[in-house]
Amino acid sequence: MHIPDLTLPAKLASILGKLPSTPPCWALVTTLNQLKKRDILPVDMSLLAGHSFEVHILDADMRLRFTADDARFSVDSTPSEPDLRLAANLADFARMMLREEDPDTLFFNRKLVIEGDTELGLIVKNLLDSVDWSATPLQRFMAV
Amino acid sequence: MPATRPLPELVCPAGSLPALKAAVDNGADTVYLGLKNDTNARNFAGLNFDDRTAREGIHYAHQHGRKVLLAINTYAQGGDISRWHRAIDEGAALGVDAIILADIGLMKYARDRYPDLRLHMSVQSSATNYEAIKLAQDMFDIRRAVLPRVLTLDQVKQVIDHTNVEIEVFGFGSLCVMVEGRCLLSSYATGESPNSHGVCSPAKFVRWEHGQQALGARLNGILIDEYQQGEPAGYPTLCKGRFEVEGDTYYALEEPTSLNVMSMLPQIIDIGVAAIKVEGRQRSPAYVAQVTRTLREALDAAGRDKQRFAVKPAWTQALSKLAEGQQQTLGAYNRPWK
Amino acid sequence: MKKLQLTLGPVLFYWSRDDILRFYSEAADWPLETIYLGEAVCSRRQQLRGQDWISLGRELAQSGRQVVLSSQALIESESDLRRLRKLVENGELQLEANDLGAARLAQQQGQPFVAGHHLNIYNADTLALIRSLGARRWIPPVEMDRDTLSAVLGQAAFNGVQIETELFAWGRLPLALSARCFTARHYNLSKDDCQFRCMEHPDGLRLNTREQQAFLTINGIQTMSDGCQSLLPHLADISAMGITALRISPQWQHTAQVVQGYQQAVAAIESRTTGEVDLSPYSDSLLVDGYWRGSAGISAIGETRHAHS
Repeated sequence: MHIPDLTLPAKLASILGKLPSTPPCWALVTTLNQLKKRDILPVDMSLLAGHSFEVHILDADMRLRFTADDARFSVDSTPSEPDLRLAANLADFARMMLREEDPDTLFFNRKLVIEGDTELGLIVKNLLDSVDWSATPLQRFMAV
Repeated sequence: MPATRPLPELVCPAGSLPALKAAVDNGADTVYLGLKNDTNARNFAGLNFDDRTAREGIHYAHQHGRKVLLAINTYAQGGDISRWHRAIDEGAALGVDAIILADIGLMKYARDRYPDLRLHMSVQSSATNYEAIKLAQDMFDIRRAVLPRVLTLDQVKQVIDHTNVEIEVFGFGSLCVMVEGRCLLSSYATGESPNSHGVCSPAKFVRWEHGQQALGARLNGILIDEYQQGEPAGYPTLCKGRFEVEGDTYYALEEPTSLNVMSMLPQIIDIGVAAIKVEGRQRSPAYVAQVTRTLREALDAAGRDKQRFAVKPAWTQALSKLAEGQQQTLGAYNRPWK
Repeated sequence: MKKLQLTLGPVLFYWSRDDILRFYSEAADWPLETIYLGEAVCSRRQQLRGQDWISLGRELAQSGRQVVLSSQALIESESDLRRLRKLVENGELQLEANDLGAARLAQQQGQPFVAGHHLNIYNADTLALIRSLGARRWIPPVEMDRDTLSAVLGQAAFNGVQIETELFAWGRLPLALSARCFTARHYNLSKDDCQFRCMEHPDGLRLNTREQQAFLTINGIQTMSDGCQSLLPHLADISAMGITALRISPQWQHTAQVVQGYQQAVAAIESRTTGEVDLSPYSDSLLVDGYWRGSAGISAIGETRHAHS
């Protein structure tokens, strides 16, 4: 499976950007908690607890903000600056998640922006890398 | 020249279980990994193996007929070095195929406790000549030495011709311009180095400054580089920054570059290199998969017909995408680089 | 407690033959226990050849100093090994082994040697091993902090390992070695045709950040700190730890004054007086002691802020 190198059309992006980001963010947080519960996401929550995160999908101008505590992820509705912000276009996030593209490669090419606590960024990257998708039904989508 | 040399082992990195599986699935002969602590030189938060993942990974590799090496390649620090001893004990108990060690004190421990355990001399041991390798062979019966990335191909051959210890060389990955094990630039700037903490330019000291004009990369406050809009960025590894010397601002030590020996594979096979190592335990499974697959193909092609071996554009393309700074070099193997 | 001794490390820069000979004719009168001699950095630096260093060493030894020949730290080629063997087999002067290969050759000759800081001895087991090969003295890695060193020495003493310890007390810190020559690179020259430009920079070439912060020193294939390490503020503690000797690393100017300053400071400890010695006029760089304090090496004397803020 290969993801074409597209950015979202401006019109669609402007609509997406105006939608409330809470439902997608809620979906993300629920997914993360599910993956964690089923032991697919081998996360050491002590490394993430107390931190706030923002996933910024640039071409949709959508910001998904969440926090972590010792047990779970939850939607972050505070206006404060996140400890870690990851920004990229939707297609690049998808490539990264599906292991078609290496996050370092995207970063070197300036397609992935990392702001805030660099070590936290590394922890998140290493966490995503350590998910063994072969143990999940998602396996068939993976590039590797 | 011997008629046929066995093909060098392809030794690939794994910072996680998926990376290990990616290496095995894409044709690595051997995978190397480290434990989740400062006993190895890629001691990054969230990276590496605990007991469960190590067990599963070793089982997976052995099931597929591949080998697993455990890197314990930092220098044991201070009065209490039990952490390093435990790591060796753990490696022996896990049934790894060899342990890669840098510290000769640890080589002695491993040899005394586990007479049958195969030991490799890490690149961090800075063994650039056969006398240094022979010392470790005579005393600890090491079976393989990984050479620092500072020798020309002729010098590598010279080492191989003077020792029966297997020689492993680097084939692909981010290029260390300094002699491994002898670089303290990271601790000079941050207090933590590969030798002492298993890290180089550690992430907790890195700050990205997103300015109007440029992206600034700082390490413990020290400006390592600035990137203009659209300019490829690099991780602020100290030796790959841009600095000012006598009024010139340039990559004073090294460009962000990756080593790639693909074009030299026939010579590497000819001189009798036992194994080719891929750098990058800190990189993702996607990187490991792509590099392993490409080098496997290239190595097999060189093995089939050395004379007519030519690097395929598709291989170059696949690897250049993954290369740091998207530039590639033959490094020290090729004398003019020096 | 034995009095702290002073030693003169090998000249790490490339000076002309005349300058070298002048330097050592002066150094012969300084209050030094040991003088280390030889080319430890680059095989292309041949103003003095192996035999010249050996002869110079024999002369200096007659002045009552202990003379030790420092081996080249990065041994790559067969000719590097040939030169090394020649040093080891000189039959008179001891060797500072800056590579495991050198340690092996000294051991095979049955010669006691000094284990240089490049040997990466970070714990008591490794120290005992090097001792068993014939090392009578060791220099800890320059990045090792006071507490780690104290723990290593404590453990070594507990294990009954007796060996002298020498610290890198003054000078630009040797931080890294490479196959590449950064001085040649600066002049767009290849290493094989470097035109010996190192000689134009008798204290190395300063490398600044893009904000003009003095950061490192380029010295051929070696990268050094710009900051000048000075352990002067810690001598009382160092003396109490049972350290044998302090190494002064030669610089183009004022090495005599630095040696003299250290001698005064050591004497002040002996006599329990408080003689303030200020060596900052004798360095054109910031004085740093971060490594000793367990911080970043670049951290300046008196800078108490933890490196990671």
